Amino acid sequence: MPKEAGAPTGRLQVRIKRSAEESQERFEVERFPAMTVLDVLLAVQREHDPSIGFRFSCRVAMCGTCTLRVDGRSVLACQALVQDHAREIEIAPMAGYPVVRDLVVDMAPFWEQWSRITPYLDPKESLDEPAVVRPDSEEREAIDPSLDCIQCGACYSSCGVSGQHKTFLGPAALTRAMVLINDSRDAAGRTRLDVVSGQDGADRCHLIYGCTGVCPKGLDPARAIRRVRTGRVEDR
Amino acid sequence: MTTTAAYDEVFTDVAIVGSGGAGLMAVLHAHAADPDLDITVISKGAVGRSGCTRMVQGGYNAVLSPMDSIANHFDDTLDGGKYLNNQDLAWTLVNDAPKVIHELETKVGCFFDRADDGTIKQKAFAGQSFDRTVHRGDLTGIEIMARLRDQMFRVRPRELEDVRGLDLIRAADGSVAGLTCLNIKNGKFVVVRARVVVIATGGAATMYKIAAPSREKTGDGVAMCVRAGLAVRDMEMMQFHPTGLLVGKARMTGAVLEEGLRGAGAHLLNAHGERYMTKYDPVRMERSTRDVVSRSSYMEIMAGRGTDMGGVLIDISHLGSAEVEKRFPGMVARTRQIGSDLATGPVEVSPTAHFHMGGAIIDPDCRTAVEGLLVAGEDAGGVHGANRLGGNGVAESTVFGCRAGDTAAVVARTREHPEIDIADVERAMAIAAAPLDRPEGILPFELTTRLKNVMWEHCGVVRNAEGLAAAIREIDTLEEQLALVSVPGPAAFNPAWNEALDLQNQLSVAKIIVRTAALRTETRGAHARSDFPERDDSEWLKYLVATQTVDGSIDITERPVEFSRSARPAPEEAEVEQP
Ligand SMILES: Cc1cc2nc3c(=O)[nH]c(=O)nc-3n(C[C@H](O)[C@H](O)[C@H](O)COP(=O)(O)OP(=O)(O)OC[C@H]3O[C@@H](n4cnc5c(N)ncnc54)[C@H](O)[C@@H]3O)c2cc1C
Ligand code: SF4
Ligand code: FES
Repeated sequence: MPKEAGAPTGRLQVRIKRSAEESQERFEVERFPAMTVLDVLLAVQREHDPSIGFRFSCRVAMCGTCTLRVDGRSVLACQALVQDHAREIEIAPMAGYPVVRDLVVDMAPFWEQWSRITPYLDPKESLDEPAVVRPDSEEREAIDPSLDCIQCGACYSSCGVSGQHKTFLGPAALTRAMVLINDSRDAAGRTRLDVVSGQDGADRCHLIYGCTGVCPKGLDPARAIRRVRTGRVEDR
Repeated sequence: MTTTAAYDEVFTDVAIVGSGGAGLMAVLHAHAADPDLDITVISKGAVGRSGCTRMVQGGYNAVLSPMDSIANHFDDTLDGGKYLNNQDLAWTLVNDAPKVIHELETKVGCFFDRADDGTIKQKAFAGQSFDRTVHRGDLTGIEIMARLRDQMFRVRPRELEDVRGLDLIRAADGSVAGLTCLNIKNGKFVVVRARVVVIATGGAATMYKIAAPSREKTGDGVAMCVRAGLAVRDMEMMQFHPTGLLVGKARMTGAVLEEGLRGAGAHLLNAHGERYMTKYDPVRMERSTRDVVSRSSYMEIMAGRGTDMGGVLIDISHLGSAEVEKRFPGMVARTRQIGSDLATGPVEVSPTAHFHMGGAIIDPDCRTAVEGLLVAGEDAGGVHGANRLGGNGVAESTVFGCRAGDTAAVVARTREHPEIDIADVERAMAIAAAPLDRPEGILPFELTTRLKNVMWEHCGVVRNAEGLAAAIREIDTLEEQLALVSVPGPAAFNPAWNEALDLQNQLSVAKIIVRTAALRTETRGAHARSDFPERDDSEWLKYLVATQTVDGSIDITERPVEFSRSARPAPEEAEVEQP
């Protein structure tokens, strides 16, 4: 087996923002190779404080429920590795959401915006059979790069505009709107276009690219927002 | 102070426990059948974002091509299940799967990958006579569950998120009256009074040291059913996927490297660099079925030819790194995250507990022996027999989820809210609160680790009488220790408390798994016995049915498989299972 050069060992200092404490709490855990932030939290839970609150489910970057901030940056705890050179990390709940306990936040603000764009398909009456859509069609070329969002909330949390204007639809909902607006199976495109062109919609975006920089699935919400401004494939 | 002093009460028509493929399809169908119904979905993890349907990579089996046929899919399913399947359930699965794909595409809003001509693309998957697996890249589960989650904004059921079902509440006449729950977020109990309860919590495969599923799946639904006296079947049948990642202590251990790698020509090597499949299945080699490959790897590891971490190696780098990166981007990324690289060299893997074929006995409409109680998805038993085909799992959860929803709508209109005995409810809550109320004792984590170790070692990929007897003893000890568990407060969002509750359910289910495994003195599908290495059709075309008696002991009976839709397997088909 190739031995990982300089596989990190030794101790890691962990500072965690707890909801009950005024300041952060400090812990120390043993490092091991390929240790993620989720592993750090599980070690703290087992070795120091079994009551620490955090959330996870799939541990393979598919459920989108373990999002938190590490050294200020929104990440998936299960995907973020403890960097080789790090001696100390700081873990805090995601910004922009009410804290339920410790690292667990209430995602309601995210879902509230998500629900405003009518996030479900409104099938056209003629849609009796699965649609025939060629993979190289203009429609799929618009849509495909914006699929596989796991609704982790990181982009919303990192968006300066969402942070200031609680009514801004935000990067994830606008991305979902773009997908549906370009989906030829859907009948509600025009209503949705009205919502995204309204005062809480795409025009609020300042193209700061906070969302794109942070998306753990490599999506580019900023690009989707630009795209949504150009209207529907079907209308062209 | 006891935590049970106060509880919230919710009245609903249909309570659906679990929000994976089965749970949310049940919501959609109950609502479509009767839009006036009050529907409540109770979910231990986030709604639509917990469970394994979300984690499906490979895809969904359904007959869509005129060149394929329902009969072919049915035969493949029985063949894969080594003829232990309940044939009516398997028939229902293959018949409904195309309808559900149709519904997912035209109503729910999923969009699966297309072939060049624009029609739904279907790919090959192990154990099937036709390329019938529908998928969306290697993230099929996200497409299905995210769109089902979106549908909840249309249907608007009452969502009790971060609320775990604890135990069923029975009326005086034995029918179901609802269930007790714990609101994980605030630590308060909730009594849900329902006309119909649908159990869809997704099985119990996490009780192994190396396991693939998401965290919540600790056998809660099956344990609830068992404690309510319901019969379960095929409990000894636990599927191991052959290539789970080994990452030492990291939680990523057990996560699946997809089956397609072996299909594409990956080699499996032991620590001496030998391609050991030459010994176990010289014809099919690494492309052999899940059960055979898992068993072969396990034998190598147990014979001392495993790696230091207790695994074997998968190597596909001979295809060239560019090719591997192109065909398996997700898998390459996953291995790079842990400091190895599938594109350029071998990666350590081990069999990993994946899916529980066993579960509650249901009819094709998801009804159980208890009036008002329905079960769907991985919590039900019988669809897959002794071994599940890749691609039939998400088909099962969505097909039977739809049926449970349809049935729930009908049953809800025939039932009132039964009277319940509050003393019963309070007793259930007191038992759940015990670890928090107990002033001192032991933490649950160590006990969970012991359970996972003993299940892995003695009731895992290959079993024998002696090991199973040892497992029964250890599980009895763990049950005694569970009574000593104490967790510190607060009650709100307390993972240690939840671990104690999980452990209780895991033990209820494990107890039955080891006992049924000890009784089945043959090797069939996922159940391999080193002391009975052959499949024995003359004796064992029977399934094991277990019930828990009032005093907590387990009663097991044998029933002959009903060949209601297919002939018995011809003797030459009963090939010798390679242990
Ligand atoms: C990694 C992985 C990959 C897979 N890939 C494939 C594949 O490619 N093709 C395929 O066909 N099958 C696959 N499967 C199998 C498939 O995922 C399952 O067969 C199926 O999704 C199970 O669906 P379900 O609805 O029964 O349960 P799940 O989708 O697992 O959902 C369970 C739900 O129950 C909730 N829950 C649990 N306990 C409680 C409780 N006490 N109270 C309330 N809620 C509770 C959970 O939060 C969750 O919402 C895979 C499984 C895994 C683990
Ligand atoms: S777009 Fe990316 S960052 Fe935003 S919610 Fe989806 S997956 Fe998360
Ligand atoms: S635990 Fe599912 S995304 Fe991290």
